[in-house]
Amino acid sequence: MSKLADESVQVEELKNVDELKPNKIIDVRGAICPHPLNLIRDTIVSLKDKEILQAICDHEPTAKENAPRFCLRRGYPLKVIEQNGIWQVFIQKIEKTEPRLRVLSVSKVFRTNQGKVTALDNINLTIQEGEFVCIVGPSGCGKSTLLNLIAGLDKPTQGEIWSNGNRVTGPGSDRVVVFQEGALFPWLTVMQNVEFGLKLRDVASNIRRTLALDYLKLVGLDEKFHNSFIHQLSGGMKQRVAIARALVMEPAILLMDEPFAALDVYTRETLQEELQNIWTESHKTIVFVTHNVQEAVLLGDRVIVFASNPGQVKAEYEIDIARPRKIDHPEVFLNTKWITDDLKEELEEQSYKANAKKEVVYR
Amino acid sequence: MSKRFIKLALFYLILIGLWQGLALLKIWPEYIFPTPLGVLETLVTGFEDKTFIIGILISLKRILIGYGFSIVLGLFVGLLIGRVKTLDETVGSLVLGIQALPSICWLPLALLWFGLSESAMLAIVILGSLFSIIIGADTGVKNVPPIYVRAARTMGAKGFQLYTKVIMPAALPSIISGFKQGWSFAWRSLMAAELLYVGLGLGHLLMMGRELNDMNQVIAVMVVIIIIGIVVDRLIFARIENKVRERWGLA
Ligand SMILES: Nc1ncnc2c1ncn2[C@@H]1O[C@H](COP(=O)(O)OP(=O)(O)O)[C@@H](O)[C@H]1O
Ligand SMILES: [Mg+2]
Repeated sequence: MSKLADESVQVEELKNVDELKPNKIIDVRGAICPHPLNLIRDTIVSLKDKEILQAICDHEPTAKENAPRFCLRRGYPLKVIEQNGIWQVFIQKIEKTEPRLRVLSVSKVFRTNQGKVTALDNINLTIQEGEFVCIVGPSGCGKSTLLNLIAGLDKPTQGEIWSNGNRVTGPGSDRVVVFQEGALFPWLTVMQNVEFGLKLRDVASNIRRTLALDYLKLVGLDEKFHNSFIHQLSGGMKQRVAIARALVMEPAILLMDEPFAALDVYTRETLQEELQNIWTESHKTIVFVTHNVQEAVLLGDRVIVFASNPGQVKAEYEIDIARPRKIDHPEVFLNTKWITDDLKEELEEQSYKANAKKEVVYR
Repeated sequence: MSKRFIKLALFYLILIGLWQGLALLKIWPEYIFPTPLGVLETLVTGFEDKTFIIGILISLKRILIGYGFSIVLGLFVGLLIGRVKTLDETVGSLVLGIQALPSICWLPLALLWFGLSESAMLAIVILGSLFSIIIGADTGVKNVPPIYVRAARTMGAKGFQLYTKVIMPAALPSIISGFKQGWSFAWRSLMAAELLYVGLGLGHLLMMGRELNDMNQVIAVMVVIIIIGIVVDRLIFARIENKVRERWGLA
């Protein structure tokens, strides 16, 4: 296993190197310009799937940092062997399209007055282009924290996040968040809220208006509310506007943090249905956070279950139910029940442990 | 609305009637207890010979210059200490401390520094309004829900844009309240300062009334001062404040 200098991410190891015959051997010793890594990268491009490259290298940063990081990003297995200041770098090419989003060994620790809180502990996720992924877990398990990290609003304590092959270092309009509530700007009208991001990008006003109208139509907001102020809207209408405001930025990934949690049941069901339609039409990648298992099953291709203290991935379920799904669909019900039962066991175990701890304290 | 207006009109008519009635009884000499008619007469001549108009304009000029300066400086400082923790803990605590001082208490200081001069009048207006404006902006900025800033950042807002497009508009209700309070403090302390200063302001006209034993002038100038205070407060600040609160959805 090859570790990077910051020791936060690990590259898959290429096993049984001795028995493997490299398909290509290059010697990059003494290379400065082009950089040894560039030579390696260029050679890998010429390889076919599963073929192996052996690079002979005398440049330590390339062998210990650049090449492993490169392999990590691409998901290529790697083995580095050192002999007297010379490194033999073995890399296997694996053909695959770059995932839309990768969360690699991400941990997040908050320092508060009461001490450290580990909100997320070693989270690994890979999300493909166009996937609808739901993250479900009890409140306080770090779902919002993870979404903030993906959005680039906060930085991981450890680990890396990659969006379409680019490292996430801050907010970017490829990732836009729809928050639970109260994130619309009360000093702007509905229309101005939706145009906000476009205006920041200096989009011409007529184009802005057209786009805003399109997306308000897509989310089904009645025209008579286009010039209303936010406090004049119902909860459901507010979330429609919030979704339009995010979609109008044409993000590659739509991040949604319990967007329907504060709505009444009827409104929630309508919006869940419409979100499915929007997703089917727009082929967006959606990461949807909720504490409601049924909602996760209804919406997601994949449901990732989080556990808390510290926040971690507990289980993952593929949801293979035809769309459009309805909340009263028997399969939705069954899947929900299975996942909930799994979770209950987990929760009981946890509370058992917690109680055991308490008893010790009381004695 | 009109019913309320009738009530108000009746109330003031009765009040003025009682006042005139009492004056007609001639219990006190006129230089102690003036008549409404006398006051009205003084008002009319005051406006006709332009002394009142000049007084109003001079006082307004002072307050506008000083208040304008306060707005610029106060907004700058307030917006800054609302966001920068170190400044808040240092400058912010100083401002809060000074704010506890009634603004008229700046008068002796301003007189010692600038003498009885135009600069002293401006200093009074500035010192009277500055701290309310700083605190209004500071409070507003501190109370901006962080989610607004985060939402704006995911939509691509950065650095100074966050100030102009999110923090300032979000803090506007509180900024306006600071402006309003700053204005009324400034107006009060300016009137007090002008009592001492022969500079033709409204306060000076008030003092002149006393020196000439002209109670009519005293009351007439007081009426003018009250009316200007009410007009600015009700017609300008209260209107803006209501509009903002309505828009922001604050009850
Ligand atoms: N800014 C912060 N400072 C300190 N602790 C935080 C902060 N944000 C979140 N936490 C803590 O991290 C944990 C996860 O929070 P969060 O991500 O909001 O959970 P969820 O969204 O799943 O309910 C909680 O224990 C919370 O108290
Ligand atoms: Mg949350």
